[in-house]
Amino acid sequence: MDPAERLSSKQKQISISEFFEKNKHFLGFDTLQRSIITAVKEAVDNSLDACEEARILPEINVEIKRMKGDRLRLITQDNGPGIPREDIENVFGKFLLGSRFHAIRQTRGQQGIGITGVVMYSQLTAGSKTKVVSKIAKDSSAVFVELGIDTRRNRAIKSGETRDTWLDEKTEEVISHGLRVECEMRAKYQRGRQSVHQYLRMTSIVNPHASISLVVRDRDGSIIEEGDWQRTTERLPREVSEIRPHPHGIQLGSLQRMLKESQERKMTSFLRHNFSGVSMRAAREILAAAGLDEGRSPKRISADDAQGMVSAFRKVKLLSPPTDCLSPIEDLLIKKGLSKAIDSRFASTITRGPKVTQGNPFQIEVGLVFGGNLNADGPIEVLRFANRVPLMYQQGGCLLTKGLEAVDWKRYGLDHPGGKGIPKGPAAVLIHLASTNVQFTSEAKEAVSDNEEVFEEIRLAMLEVGRGLKGHLKKSSQRKKAKEKFELINIILPEISKKSSELLSRGEPDLAPIITKIMDAVFCEEELGWDAERKIATCSITIYNYTARARAYTILAKWPESEETSIAENALGGKKQANGLWAWRLDTLNPGSATTIHFGVSGLRKGEWSDAEIFYRGNGEVIGATKIDEKLLEELRKSEALEAAESEFQNPEESISQLKERAEQSEVSQPPSLEGGQTSLFGNFSTNDTEEVE
Amino acid sequence: MTIDRQKTKEEVIDALHGVASEMHDKMLKGNPPTMTLPVRSKSNIGFDKNLGVYKYGKKKTIRDATSLGSARQLLRALHITEFVEGMISDGKTSTLREMYYISEGWGHGKFSSQNESNGVSEDLEIVTKCLREDFGLRPEEDGARIIGNVTFEERNRKGDWMRINCRDDVGDSGYGVPYNVESEKLRMIDEDIDFVMAIETGGMFDRLVENGFDEEARCALVHLKGQPARSTRRIMRRMSDQWNKPIMVFADCDPWSFRIYASIAYGAIKTAHISEYLATKEATYLGITADDILAYDLPSDDLTKQDLNALNAELSDPRFATGWWQEQIQLMQEIGKKAEQQSLAKYGLDFVTDTYLPEKLGALGITY
Repeated sequence: MDPAERLSSKQKQISISEFFEKNKHFLGFDTLQRSIITAVKEAVDNSLDACEEARILPEINVEIKRMKGDRLRLITQDNGPGIPREDIENVFGKFLLGSRFHAIRQTRGQQGIGITGVVMYSQLTAGSKTKVVSKIAKDSSAVFVELGIDTRRNRAIKSGETRDTWLDEKTEEVISHGLRVECEMRAKYQRGRQSVHQYLRMTSIVNPHASISLVVRDRDGSIIEEGDWQRTTERLPREVSEIRPHPHGIQLGSLQRMLKESQERKMTSFLRHNFSGVSMRAAREILAAAGLDEGRSPKRISADDAQGMVSAFRKVKLLSPPTDCLSPIEDLLIKKGLSKAIDSRFASTITRGPKVTQGNPFQIEVGLVFGGNLNADGPIEVLRFANRVPLMYQQGGCLLTKGLEAVDWKRYGLDHPGGKGIPKGPAAVLIHLASTNVQFTSEAKEAVSDNEEVFEEIRLAMLEVGRGLKGHLKKSSQRKKAKEKFELINIILPEISKKSSELLSRGEPDLAPIITKIMDAVFCEEELGWDAERKIATCSITIYNYTARARAYTILAKWPESEETSIAENALGGKKQANGLWAWRLDTLNPGSATTIHFGVSGLRKGEWSDAEIFYRGNGEVIGATKIDEKLLEELRKSEALEAAESEFQNPEESISQLKERAEQSEVSQPPSLEGGQTSLFGNFSTNDTEEVE
Repeated sequence: MTIDRQKTKEEVIDALHGVASEMHDKMLKGNPPTMTLPVRSKSNIGFDKNLGVYKYGKKKTIRDATSLGSARQLLRALHITEFVEGMISDGKTSTLREMYYISEGWGHGKFSSQNESNGVSEDLEIVTKCLREDFGLRPEEDGARIIGNVTFEERNRKGDWMRINCRDDVGDSGYGVPYNVESEKLRMIDEDIDFVMAIETGGMFDRLVENGFDEEARCALVHLKGQPARSTRRIMRRMSDQWNKPIMVFADCDPWSFRIYASIAYGAIKTAHISEYLATKEATYLGITADDILAYDLPSDDLTKQDLNALNAELSDPRFATGWWQEQIQLMQEIGKKAEQQSLAKYGLDFVTDTYLPEKLGALGITY
């Protein structure tokens, strides 16, 4: 070999090992504790992404075993599509392999260098090869292969490749598709807040469609830690479409590369076909602002001119990029995921509408759980996620945390000393940022960097879940008070009457007028139940009039209305007021009397309906119910009428004249903004909320 | 003024029925039942010139059954009334703690802690102007010990009167004061003393006993055991009234000891409804004073935050509104120190009886 060639090859060899060594802090392998988390992360993220792409409901099993010295063996297995034989080397053996390198859409994204880093780390620290079993559905047998990395040539070395039927170790059934990765590495298993267990627990919360299990065994086979998180929904995340970059998010370097690689002949078509949000008119305005001729060839644009274009992008009004490239978890599934992982009494969730910052679509989702077994003393648990990936380090420096801290939680019922930092109390908060381009503070990708628009969205989402919490706490305390009053008048007062009459040998007084004086209020109590025989969720609402006057009310109840559910039993009748809101007009309630509304809902599973909200229309206060906001109700009904009209518009059977009539009837001047937050629409949503106005 | 008045059974039951009547009458008129009590705080005690002690003022609080907590208190008061009636007719007594356990059977009227049952019993005493001894309720804490040449007659369990001289008929631990020291239980027979010395701590009591101070100084030694029990205060009051002997209070020098003295001399806030039975206005605070810490250069400790708060509270307490007390409290705040009785041992075991007490008593005109 030529000495120069030898030198360069040696340099290269050094450089790859050195590259790994030098950069292991942002590759996630800086400490022994973190290395195992990173390895699990790479494997699980790959599995989830592959399943999502192949539209398979993921089943992922993770097994960790302590070996001699400071070594761990990691086995991950999924039911994903598997990897075709010819691609295995590429997936496991090459750095910086990225099929989606140019595509812009929401992906879990690779931590550092992906699964290749795991193979590399295993080889460097344990000198061992990574064993891979891959089965794709169309092949009759699975591929068994061992992989190492040729650090000189930057590629994988395969050995011992065989083909065989792959049987599941437990069930001994033939596996039709899936992937199993087994490797050994220097690492240390640690329990607690920054552990594999916590990582998988968090992952399961934001991937409610996945079933994930974990077993960690000691050298003698005894179990150190385990977890089993079953899926709570069969619905896969929405398939995300790729979008072209938006000019507001483009950097000079990327623009130059796009110009160079462009096949377009004219600048106008280059702009229109390579970017989203650029119309013909906008393309012309950009070029005019940059002082460029429309007919110029993209390949011949100089660096200076490209710089001019970047500034021109800012000056011209552009359409926002499409937001269907995002895949939020959606509030109902967040609720399910959270209640699966955390035992609590109350959950409030919100998925904000998509927004755009610097040409990148993004969406914020927040969930808050409260009560139950949660620790009341310390700061609340903060669960941060970017594109469904848990963020476990650098909590303090992360924008998601800052958005949480910006809210005055004291107003919403949490302890918040000095109004600074993480609030305290028996609560946990989930924050999910979905975006085509999550900006991190560093390559470690553990903390989201500052961005005003994202911050504001988080803050607004926090306010919404905060309002939900406040309402819940108010309701709980009202309920407690009502319970005490009931005990007072039903138990204690009659005993005082009996005992004092006995002692004095006198007759017992009439308690009715006394009860009215003590209570002097109308109470509403609701109870949710489950009729196992008929599979009906039941709700009983009792109204007690403990005032000295007769009262008349209309009672409204929120119920989980959907295509699958219907009101199964409802002796009192009543009528629908809006989607998911039923109303009953009650007969006049005389002083000291009570009446009960009983109804059932079919099409639900046990426990799916855990929180009924009761509203009333009428004079005075009803303890335990909220006065309905007629204005909001009216807006809601109008928007529903409009929606119905729109859906009919797409239905050719309906004549246009009928449609017109309907639209006029509903008299919608402007559509109300009803993003998410349905929970707070009727009651606590006061328009003079100052934080709302800010 | 005669204070040796015991209420008859009928009077006690009538008084208790008055409480039930208030509730029942309110209910007959269609109102929530109530119980009217004097406000029991520092702000509502005032000096009663006729009685010479501090009593509750005119501020009343009405406890009505519009909240669960208050309603429960009313129900408990009725249960206690019923229980006391039963005991009176059976000629029994019980301790407050026993009553607390008996309340387990009172359903919704049961107590959730002993403090609660003590509180309601005190409420009933105040409203009915009876003593809890009238109810047949005994405190858990035992009374004081007495050593000195005084003779009592105590009625024992068999109903016989037993004569006891507190110097000759007792051991080193002295005569144990029973919970009830009214004339039906205890008679004052004879004495040959010049004064009564009340001592806060057991250690100092034993020191004076060992040194024979009772005979040397011709006094009766009473061990207070910290904040003195009612019967301890009551027996001192009787010795003062019937034998006309001065009471000298010898305690630590700290804010809590000042309160011990105040409860003996003027009545305690908690028992201001019966101050005229318990307080001995002739009681004198002998020491240890803040002056003594300086004059005798006694070993001392720094005042804690709680001590300072207590001293501040005492400055506005009407019982300490005299010039002498204000001076002492302010001096103590100034030097920031407190001292124990036993710190006198710095100068030897006999210093207290040979030097300190003769000097302090001499200054008050008592010599021997």
